[in-house]
Amino acid sequence: MTQETDRGADFVKLVVLLIAALLLFAPFLFQDIRSLEVAARICVFIVLVASYDLLIGYTGIVSFAHTMFFGFGAYGAAIALRQMGPGWDAVLLGTLAGALVSLVMAIAIGLLSLRVKAIFFAMITLAAASVAMVLASQLSQFTGGEDGITYKTPDLFKTATKLVVTEDGKVARLFGVKLNGKLAAYYFVFASSLVLFVFMIRLVGSPIGTILKAIRENEARAEAIGYRVVAYRTFVFCVSAVIASLAGSVYAIWLKYTGPDTALSFSIMIDILLMVVIGGMGTMYGAVIGAVLMVLAQYYLRDLMGTAAEALANVPLLPFILNPDMWLFWLGVIFILLVYFFPKGIAGSLARKETEA
Amino acid sequence: MQQVHPMSHPSLVTQDLTIRFGGHVAVNAVSCEFRPGELTVIVGPNGAGKTTYFNLISGQLGPSAGRVLKDGIDITRMPPSARAHHGIGRAFQLTNLFPQLPVLENIRLAVQARSGKAWNMFQPVAKLTELTARAERYLEATRLEDVAHLHAAALSHGDQRKLEVALLMAMEPDIYMFDEPTAGMSLDHAPDVLELIAELKHDHTKTILLVEHKMDVVRALADRIIVLHNGELLADGPPEEVMSSRIVRDVYLGKSTEAA
Repeated sequence: MTQETDRGADFVKLVVLLIAALLLFAPFLFQDIRSLEVAARICVFIVLVASYDLLIGYTGIVSFAHTMFFGFGAYGAAIALRQMGPGWDAVLLGTLAGALVSLVMAIAIGLLSLRVKAIFFAMITLAAASVAMVLASQLSQFTGGEDGITYKTPDLFKTATKLVVTEDGKVARLFGVKLNGKLAAYYFVFASSLVLFVFMIRLVGSPIGTILKAIRENEARAEAIGYRVVAYRTFVFCVSAVIASLAGSVYAIWLKYTGPDTALSFSIMIDILLMVVIGGMGTMYGAVIGAVLMVLAQYYLRDLMGTAAEALANVPLLPFILNPDMWLFWLGVIFILLVYFFPKGIAGSLARKETEA
Repeated sequence: MQQVHPMSHPSLVTQDLTIRFGGHVAVNAVSCEFRPGELTVIVGPNGAGKTTYFNLISGQLGPSAGRVLKDGIDITRMPPSARAHHGIGRAFQLTNLFPQLPVLENIRLAVQARSGKAWNMFQPVAKLTELTARAERYLEATRLEDVAHLHAAALSHGDQRKLEVALLMAMEPDIYMFDEPTAGMSLDHAPDVLELIAELKHDHTKTILLVEHKMDVVRALADRIIVLHNGELLADGPPEEVMSSRIVRDVYLGKSTEAA
């Protein structure tokens, strides 16, 4: 039994390493714009989902304000780049401003309401997130309202920028990939995400990580053996908020556009929840698996279904149920099946400890 | 034979400690002093307020009136975590563990709480070998080595009770509060726990409070007995004196001496 579950945990680790390798070499392995879009989104969402897992999976805090913090970071970078022009000072200032607003909001929400019951806390975060959404659409002179804002990013990330030039002045290629600003932008996203993810891995493996789990398991006993539960909860809420905010800034720099749909909408919150549940709560690696599966499904399930429907055009009924417009229905079906067969999420179920009764 | 130190300063004092739930007074003006090296057994019928009295001392409840002093420091308004840092340790009547964490991790958490490493964010837990070594000591002391890597939820009831005691010991407190540590334990497990308490007692520096019903246990361990009845302190004194007192026999011991 022990060996079997160790193998499960090792398998999960292997899959995660494989995904990391694929993301590292993504620009060379999948040489089209859309794939790179997908890879960058996966990187950012891994961080976003992992930071949410700190709350829901490790500490047992249910929050619906995670996209709000993501949005603060995205809008911070976006507004700074828009107002100050495409410089590194704008990137830095906007990112820090977004993180600071997130931190202040997290402290305020945390201290005011982490003492109350989980359900009330969830409601308060929901209210805060709604307010942020309304503000983003109302303050349109800064945020561009529902349309969002487009802006330029530093020259290094421009597609026209040549990182390496050949002798005749053209952009150099490596394995057929242009060494241009787009590549630099992707590696900026990848490296930032990697740093934040490794930070979180270290955090959950440190003493503080076990305290968070203890609070999730039995908050009264954690308090009784000497851990101030409110302080630890507020702390993890702040860490999670700042990381979400930084992920938002990175995504804003990548997209060169920030609007309610990319940074603030409630559907992102639902995506995060689905990813964390599919991947497995309280595992960190689950965030990687969940984010990869969901983003891939969102981008490619329609294409796959379209191809399948065409291939089966002569078969009765099947082309109809495989119609690409039905993709959300199939996503739902897949989700239900995953939850049924992997009740603890994919990473959680595979790596389940033998020690459970 | 008994190593009581009546002259030493009390480590724990409750002054007129009172809590009301609506109109019901669960603990009524209980004033008591507890000294290092002394094992006090608290007896009383069900609903007498024994566990509530414990909750007021360890901070799960705040009193309606009265004070709790630890080594002269007023801890009445402190949350349980702060009291733990002042050396108040408590084991619970109903098993109160971290069910989905391994046994060793449960104990390590209790060791770590007062180690000053609680806010350590970057060192992997596995590298804090000193904490682990200390946790392993309590693991051995409570004879839980064989189940160290099982989740607390997977343990037998008896082992869970032992882990409960291990958590208390791992906190390394000055005041040990045991709330019916052998409740629901089989006959082959109960002596283990009682031996542990006896060992603590032999240290002669710890203040031990024990809620216990089993009269043979009370006789074997108690330096002093206090009797709670309807939230009030009914009797307080050496075991022989309290057990022979008429009023105590009437309200409490009358029934259970036959069984014991």
